Amino acid sequence: MLSLMGMYWGTKPDGNRGDTAQLPRLVSDFFYPNMGGVESHLFHLGQQLIQRGHKVVVVTHAYGQRTGIRYVTNGLKVYYLPAWVGYQQATPPTFFAFFPILRCIFVREQIQVVHGHQALSPLCHEAIFHARTMGLRTCFTDHSLFGFNDLGNVVGNKVLKFTLSDVDHVICVSHTSKENTVLRAALDPQDVSVIPNAIAVSQFVPDPSAPDPNWITIVVISRLAYRKGIDLLVAVIPRVCAIFPKVRFLIDGAKRIDLEQMRENCLLHDRVRFIGSVKHHEVRNVLVQGNIFLNTSLTEAFCIAVVEAASCGLTVVSTHVGGIPEVLPPHMICFAQPEENDLVRAVMQAVKSVQMKEVMPMRQHAEVKEMYSWANVAARTEVVYKQVMRINTPPFIERLRRYYGCGLWAGKLFCIMAAIDLLFLVLLEWWLPREAIEIAPSFPTKKYKRIRQMTSDKSGGS
Amino acid sequence: MARPSDLPASTTPTSEQSWSSERVLFRKVLYMKQPYPDNYVDVTFLEHLQRNANLRVRDYWTTVQDFGVILQHATSVLIFVALFILLYTKRLSSTLLIWVGALLTIAGYIFWDMSIRRIDAQYQVHRTAFFIFATLLGLSPILRILTKDISVDTIWAMTVCMFLANMLMHDYGPAPSNMACRFSGAMSTNTAIFASVLLASRLDSNIDVFALTSIAVEWFALFPILRRQFKRLSRRHSNTLTCILMLICTVMYYYISWMLMLIYVAACLFITFVCTWWLISIQKYKNEIHGPWDEARPQLQRQATAAD
Repeated sequence: MLSLMGMYWGTKPDGNRGDTAQLPRLVSDFFYPNMGGVESHLFHLGQQLIQRGHKVVVVTHAYGQRTGIRYVTNGLKVYYLPAWVGYQQATPPTFFAFFPILRCIFVREQIQVVHGHQALSPLCHEAIFHARTMGLRTCFTDHSLFGFNDLGNVVGNKVLKFTLSDVDHVICVSHTSKENTVLRAALDPQDVSVIPNAIAVSQFVPDPSAPDPNWITIVVISRLAYRKGIDLLVAVIPRVCAIFPKVRFLIDGAKRIDLEQMRENCLLHDRVRFIGSVKHHEVRNVLVQGNIFLNTSLTEAFCIAVVEAASCGLTVVSTHVGGIPEVLPPHMICFAQPEENDLVRAVMQAVKSVQMKEVMPMRQHAEVKEMYSWANVAARTEVVYKQVMRINTPPFIERLRRYYGCGLWAGKLFCIMAAIDLLFLVLLEWWLPREAIEIAPSFPTKKYKRIRQMTSDKSGGS
Repeated sequence: MARPSDLPASTTPTSEQSWSSERVLFRKVLYMKQPYPDNYVDVTFLEHLQRNANLRVRDYWTTVQDFGVILQHATSVLIFVALFILLYTKRLSSTLLIWVGALLTIAGYIFWDMSIRRIDAQYQVHRTAFFIFATLLGLSPILRILTKDISVDTIWAMTVCMFLANMLMHDYGPAPSNMACRFSGAMSTNTAIFASVLLASRLDSNIDVFALTSIAVEWFALFPILRRQFKRLSRRHSNTLTCILMLICTVMYYYISWMLMLIYVAACLFITFVCTWWLISIQKYKNEIHGPWDEARPQLQRQATAAD
C-alpha cells in the first residue's frame, strides 16, 4: 500500500511504525481555483513533494461547483470539503464540526504529517488541533504579518497562540515573518524555520522585444487595496508623469475607483492604462511589456510579485516594508520609504537606470533562477518533515500543560476544548471505528510517470 | 530536540562564495544560500523590536486637569437631569429657563465668534437658529403626548441608558487644529437628544416641553463646541469652566436631594484623584510592540498634483 510514496531516509534509524513513508498533508482554506500567493505555494510545494516521492493530499473547502475529491496535475489529490465560505474565501470558525470528516480523511489516506497553511484559515487551525488529538505530527506555515495594535489582531494572535502552542514545527516565509510569528505565538525561535516562497522561474522569462521602445512602461500588479498602498500609488503616478513625459503606467487589479478618479482629474488617459484582473498565467505577458515594476505595499511577509517581476527582467521599485528587503539583492531593487516623496525619488532613480540601459534582463533572470526554486523549498520542507517525524508525540497531559500557559482565561478555555476534542475522538472511534474506514488506494505515480514518458516520447518529446 | 542541521542549502553549495569557512556572517536575506540551518537563531534576531516606542509619561497634576473634560461632560448631563427634575416638580419656571438658555446661547455664540474671528454669513446662523427653535415650538404639543402609553419606569430606564451611551460615545478628544467647529460625535448627540425627548414627554405643558427640548439642543449640540473652544484657549479657562459647572451642579442637587449631592461630590473626587492615580499606576504594565512587520502608514504630501 505504502510502497509508492516511500521516501527513504538514508541516515535515519527506522523508528516510525515500521514504515518509512511520509504522508504530508497540506490543509488550508486557500487553494486552486482561487489564485494567490498561498494557493500557488500549496500547489507547487505539493508538486515538488510528489516529485520527491511523497504522497501529498490537499484539503480545502469547496469552491462553488468545485466539490468532492479531485486529482490535479501529477496525481495531487485535493479534497474540497463542504463548508460555508465567509470573508475572503475563509471558512467560518466551527471548532469541532470538521472533526468527523477530517478524521476520516486522516485515516483513509494514512496521513502522518498535517501541514496547515495561513493564519487566517480556521480550517487549518481546526485540522492541526484535531490532528494533535489523534496523535499525528503537525507543522504550520505562516504566510503573512500581523501587528499587535488592534482588536482584530489581538483575537487573531490568541487563536494562533492556541494552535501553535501544540504544533511540532512552524515555517515562516521570511526572517521578518519569523520574528513576527515568534512574538505573536510566544514560540521558541528554534522551532521556527525560515523557508522562503519561490516562483516557477521558467514561467517568468524576459522578452526584451515586448516593451514599447518609445516609452518607459511602469507595471503595477496588485490587489489595489489599502494594505497594498493604493493611496501612495494615487499620489505618485501624477507626479512621475509630470516629471517624465515618456513614462506610462500599466495597472492591473480589481478595485481601482480611486485610481480612475485620479486619471480623470489629472487627464492622464494616454499615460495610465488599466487592464482588468489578469489571470495568474497571464501575469508574465503583462510583466514583460514593462521596464519597471512598482510595488507600494504597506506590509508584506515575502512579496512574490517582486520576484516574478525581477525574473522577467524588470527593475523593481518597492517600499521598504516587512520582509521585502530580504527578498531581492540591492542591485535589482530600488527601495523607498512608504512616503510619497521618497517613492517618487526611487521611481526617478529606476527610470534613469532604465534610460541608461543598466538593466540586463536575461542576466537578472538567470540570477533569480539561482535564488528561488520550488525544488529547493520542497527539499527544505522535507527536512522539517523529517525532523517532526523524529519528535515523540507528547502525552495528553503535556498538551494540556501547553494550552494552560496560553493565558489566564484563554488557557483554561483551551484546556476545556482539548478535553472535549478528546472525548469527541473517543465517540467517533466508537461510532465510526477506524477499521471500518476504507483505506484509499494511492495514486500510481510511477506508472503515471512512465505512461506520460511513453506518450511524450511518441509525440516527439516536449 | 532534534534540529535540521544537514540542510540541502548547506550541503549543496552553488555560488562562488567559500562555504568551507565556518565564519560566514549570517545575513537576514533570503536570496542567498547561507551555511546555517533554516531554524538558525542569530544574535540579530528581534533587534528591530521596539517596546513602548511612543510612550508618554504622564504627570499626575496635568492628568488631573485633563480629566476635567470628562467631569465637564458628566456634570453637564447631570445639570440637565437636575433641570428636568426642577421642571417636573414645578420648582422652576419654564419661561425663566427659556430666557436664561437664550441669553447664555447668545453670549456663548458671541464669545465663540470673537475668539475665532470668523468672517461668516451671520445671517445664515440666525436663520438656522430661528428655524430650529420654531420647529421645536411647533413640535412641542406632539412631543408632550409622545410617550403617553409608555410607563414611567420604562422612560426612566431608557433615559439612563441613553445618557450612559452618550457619555461613553462622547468625543472627549482635543479640539481640531483647523478651527472648524465639529459636532461631538453624531451618535452621542443623537442619544442625548433622544433621552431629552423622552424626559420632555413626561412634562405637563407645551411651554415646559419646549423649554426642555430647546435647552437640550443648546446643551448637547452647542455647548460641547464651546467647551472645546475653552480647552483650546488655555488650561486655566477649561479648569474655571469645570469649577463653575461643578458648583452649579452641586447647588442644584442641594435643592433636590442632599444625599445625591454628596454622592455627586464623592464621585467627582474619585474620578479626579483616584482614577488619575489609577491610570498612572497601571501604565507600567504597558507593553506595546513595534517592529518591521507593522503596517506602514503611508505619508502623502497634499501638494498641487500634476504640475503644469
